[in-house]
Amino acid sequence: MHKLRHAPGDPEEVLKAALEGVAGPGPVYVLGLGYADKADDGAGVLVAETLKKPFPNHSFSEHDGVEGTVLDISEKEGPATVFFVDATDIRDAPGTIMVVPREGIKETEISTHRVPVALMASILGREGKGTAVVCVQVKSLEFRGGLSPEVSTAVELLVRVFGDIMGRRDE
Amino acid sequence: MKELNVPALARVEGDGGITVTLDGKKVKSVTLDVHEGPRLIEQLVRGMKPEDDVNVVPRICAICTLSHKFAAIRGMEKALDITPPEKADLTRELMMLGENIESNSLHTMLLALPDFLGYPSAVAMLNDYTDDVKRALKLKKFGNHIMEVTSGRIVHGENPIIGGFGKYPGKKALEEIKAKSHEMIPDAARVVELFASLEIPKYADVDSDKVFMSVSAPKKKFHLYGDEILVSNGKDFPADDYKKFTNERVVPHSFAKRSKYNDKTFMVGANARLINMGKRLDGHAADLFKEHFDKRWLRNPLYNNLAQAIEIVWAMESLPDACDKVASMDDPPTEQPMRKTGSGTGAVEAPRGTLYHHYELKDGLVDVADIITPTAQNLDDIEMHMKLAAERMLAEGKKDDEVRLGLEMIARAYDPCISCATHLVTLKRF
Repeated sequence: MHKLRHAPGDPEEVLKAALEGVAGPGPVYVLGLGYADKADDGAGVLVAETLKKPFPNHSFSEHDGVEGTVLDISEKEGPATVFFVDATDIRDAPGTIMVVPREGIKETEISTHRVPVALMASILGREGKGTAVVCVQVKSLEFRGGLSPEVSTAVELLVRVFGDIMGRRDE
Repeated sequence: MKELNVPALARVEGDGGITVTLDGKKVKSVTLDVHEGPRLIEQLVRGMKPEDDVNVVPRICAICTLSHKFAAIRGMEKALDITPPEKADLTRELMMLGENIESNSLHTMLLALPDFLGYPSAVAMLNDYTDDVKRALKLKKFGNHIMEVTSGRIVHGENPIIGGFGKYPGKKALEEIKAKSHEMIPDAARVVELFASLEIPKYADVDSDKVFMSVSAPKKKFHLYGDEILVSNGKDFPADDYKKFTNERVVPHSFAKRSKYNDKTFMVGANARLINMGKRLDGHAADLFKEHFDKRWLRNPLYNNLAQAIEIVWAMESLPDACDKVASMDDPPTEQPMRKTGSGTGAVEAPRGTLYHHYELKDGLVDVADIITPTAQNLDDIEMHMKLAAERMLAEGKKDDEVRLGLEMIARAYDPCISCATHLVTLKRF
């Protein structure tokens, strides 16, 4: 398993090549997780909601229902890759992006309020779909705090890179 | 003295743990410790307008969000002397069916079932029970969809308002829910089939019948709200008297309050609803209840899982009629308050049991708010059963890990929401 670390200021092309490398054949889906009212925690949702405008059938956020979206994608024919984008604390510089392939997604417990990404990834994997988690290092989780500049830059970068990858596959 | 700990109780919502204190082979105490921080919601809403309160209080919980919304609206409407339009009542029933399907399917299939089948989690079950895990997610998705159609969003929808609805669901969306509900009844029945086939461990059985409480739904129906509270000993009370039969108190090891009825623990939840109102069921749910109910339900909380499964069938079967009724009515205007000062209690059945919201309003603002959650009512009962089970399992020579799992299964069977239950601050002055 190879995790990719993309620090703020690293070349955009490196991230794009890494995501292209993780994505298998077929369409690419983005599923943004998080809570937009808690500052940087909303990074994943913002990436997905922004991409939803040009790619309404390939970008989804927590607001669309995570489990339902995953089930819908799993039932589509053919290969595909789902990128879960989520704000995380990977103990790195704010705005750092980490791409974790399927085999690196750890199983966490399901709770009343949360179905883990590992279960979603397993369901998708059984139907021949690839998955990876794209982590964004948070700086602030202050309630109603707004995105930090570092995470805002990472969000813009992910929107550009995913937009490019999805656009080319959409053609 | 030895302690046997489950430091973090998994597959429940919130931060809690179990501590068993042993003196030799004797169980001295078993405590469900709630570490989750207090929320201060009841103080936070003091001085708020009623319409703001009903938007704030559902934030207590993202899974019972509509139960909190409904309980708050019911309490406020009583305090403001509002009789909601019939279409609002029916749409609220519909949204509660969605929440019940969503929550019960997640809890039964993904949180409780792995213990019984010997898996550490639903992820581990996936290889052997692929269809069932996917079925659970499909049911959850459908419940979420109904919540979205009725309340406006999957979580924290704001459509339900005091006196009615901001926007009523459209006919097309209702038709789709109706059609899908027919299609999904076999999925709901499969959940019952799975839980009915499980052997329920006897270590949690008490020697005499427990006390169960639930609302009594209006018109002698089986439903998820009501102004009367039924007790399984045959008594009933107006919901306004909730303080007399919940008797809240504090304990040192927990941020959550505790309840006892006549100095005895009691249980709320799906099994309480079926024990108290099961005879009101009809359709396939009634058949399943008749087939699977036995006297052990009255003595062992692990049957709550099967009761939740039967409720999913009930909810699924109730959807077509609920959709038809809502679709057949014109949208009524929102009812307006008849007074600005008054009090009211809203009692509803959240997936995990009876939820009370009580408000006292003064000159149009919240003066007093009191929220009693199902988990807070169940905590004493959970501890009682865990102590009994720990004593039995240790007497049988079970290993520590087996005792831990047994106790976790009991706690989990109540489907506890620790986040919701914590709204207590103990202030110590030295």
